[in-house]
Formats: sequence, structure tokens, C-alpha cells
Amino acid sequence: MLSLAFACFIAALAIGTCVEVVARLLNLWTYRSPLYPLINVVLIFGLIQGFGVGWVIGGREALRGVFPVLFMVGAVLGLLTEGLNEYWLHAWSWSDRPILGIRRSIDKSAFIGVAWGFAPLLTVFLARLIAATPAVGA
Amino acid sequence: MNPALSRTDKIHAAILAAGGGGLVCAYWIAFFHSDLTLPKFVHDMTNPALVRLTTVYLGFESAFPLADLLIAVTASLAAFYLVGRDAKAVLFGLIASGALGFLGFIDISFNLLHGLYAPALLLKDGGLLMEAMINVTCVSGAIWSIWRLWGHPLRRAEDRPSRLMGPRENDPPTA
Repeated sequence: MLSLAFACFIAALAIGTCVEVVARLLNLWTYRSPLYPLINVVLIFGLIQGFGVGWVIGGREALRGVFPVLFMVGAVLGLLTEGLNEYWLHAWSWSDRPILGIRRSIDKSAFIGVAWGFAPLLTVFLARLIAATPAVGA
Repeated sequence: MNPALSRTDKIHAAILAAGGGGLVCAYWIAFFHSDLTLPKFVHDMTNPALVRLTTVYLGFESAFPLADLLIAVTASLAAFYLVGRDAKAVLFGLIASGALGFLGFIDISFNLLHGLYAPALLLKDGGLLMEAMINVTCVSGAIWSIWRLWGHPLRRAEDRPSRLMGPRENDPPTA
């Protein structure tokens, strides 16, 4: 069986990859460099939201009590990430395709920033499933 | 063009992001993973009255994370929009400040009703003293934030146009 910490990292990588694939298929945002989606998946999803938030907060407690904290920290860090990109980094930019009716880039950044709160939540749920699954042949 | 970001706006955005977003998150991480935020009386298992108070206190505190989620997210959104000089900063700032004041007063009410502000208790219990300081900061911060946003120039400003949308009819010509 995998340790929960490593399972959190793997689960977050999987979620990040899915998000990037869907965003690419729907043409929601584009990166300035082909390296940036990789950095986003490994660093932001895997290390920060998955391992950092998911495991540190949700790795040791019963989820019942901490799930608002998982969402809260994920969303606050997500808004920080989106704010850094929107105002300074410009590593990715939004297409003109609306997201749930939202058209302005600043509103898209805010909406996606809050949606980052789901990343550690889903990570912990998925990681617990992964960690509880016996290895093949074990 | 929306009004420029003043120095006080920058400080306000930093307080909203660091205080309303960061510190609320830090408090709850500490609450679930350490004894840092807990008053000393919760460890006293010898006095039945204190054991009963501990049960009530921890039950009361554990109801807060979901409500604090609203504060952390709206305060961060207010900071995000304030840095972007967008009118939504006022909307989210007032929501965050109102929620912060509401929760601050609920906490103060609970502590007063259970005698947790008694000077003798505060002086010997660092956890209670920290909580009293948090209560005062929440209420005074909420009042200051509401007062500032109520008269803020962004309150009557239009939403900032998207970078992806062309200039609107009323936009000034760009050089």
C-alpha cells in the first residue's frame, strides 16, 4: 500500500492532468510557454495543493471536521496563484470562451481561484482510495 | 478608468489577504493539528464543571470552520479585486467584513456568557488571552473595513473591462 502522503501527491497530479486536458479540449486558457502546464500540474497541483494542503491538513484527521479547512486553504492559495498570474506573471491567459457565463478575465481568475478549493478536497478523497487499494500481487 | 490604488488601499488589500485569508487558514490548521489555539482549561480533567465547559467550548468552536470559510474566501476575493481596482472589491469586502463582525460578536457573546473574559482567567491562560485579542481584532477590523469600503471611490465605479474585450463607448481613448 502507498503512504497517504505519496498518494496525495499522485492523486493531485492525476486531478491536475485531467483539469489541463479538459481545459485544452475546451480551449479555456492558453499558456505562454509549453513548460508552464507541467509546472502547474507538478508544483501547484502536486506539491502545493496535493501534498502541502491535502496531506498536511487532511492526511491525519477524520475528514468530517476538516473539509471546510481543506477547501478554505485551497481557495485562498488558488486566489493567490490566480492573482499573481492576473496582475504580474501572465503565465497563462484566458480565451474569449466564457466559463459558466463569466466573460471578463478578472472574474474568470476569481472564479477559478475559488474553484481551486476543490483540489485538496478531491485529492484527499482520491488519495484515501489509492492508499487503501492493495498493490497488485500483494 | 477606475480610481488608482492608494497606499491605504494597498494596506487594506494586504490586511484582507493576510488577515482575512491567511490568518483564518492558519488558525484552523493550528486548531486541528496543535494545542496552540486552545485555552488551558480544556486540559483540566479533574474539575467536572470545567470538563462540562470544555465539551460545550469545543462543540461551539468546531462549528466555526464552515462559517470562517466564507470569511476567508470573500476577504481573499476582496483583496484580489482591490488590487485589480475593480468595483467587486467593495461587494466582497463588505460581505467579508460583515461576516467577520458577526462571528466576532458571536464569539464575544459566548465568552461573556461563560465568564471566559474574567481577568483572573485571562491573565493565567494564554489561549484565552489570544482568543480575546482575536475577538477585539475581528470586531475592530470589521468596523474599520466597512467604514473604509462604504466611502470608497470604487463603490460607485464600474467593473474593470476585460483585457479580452474591446474598449466600451464611455472608455477614454488610449494613446
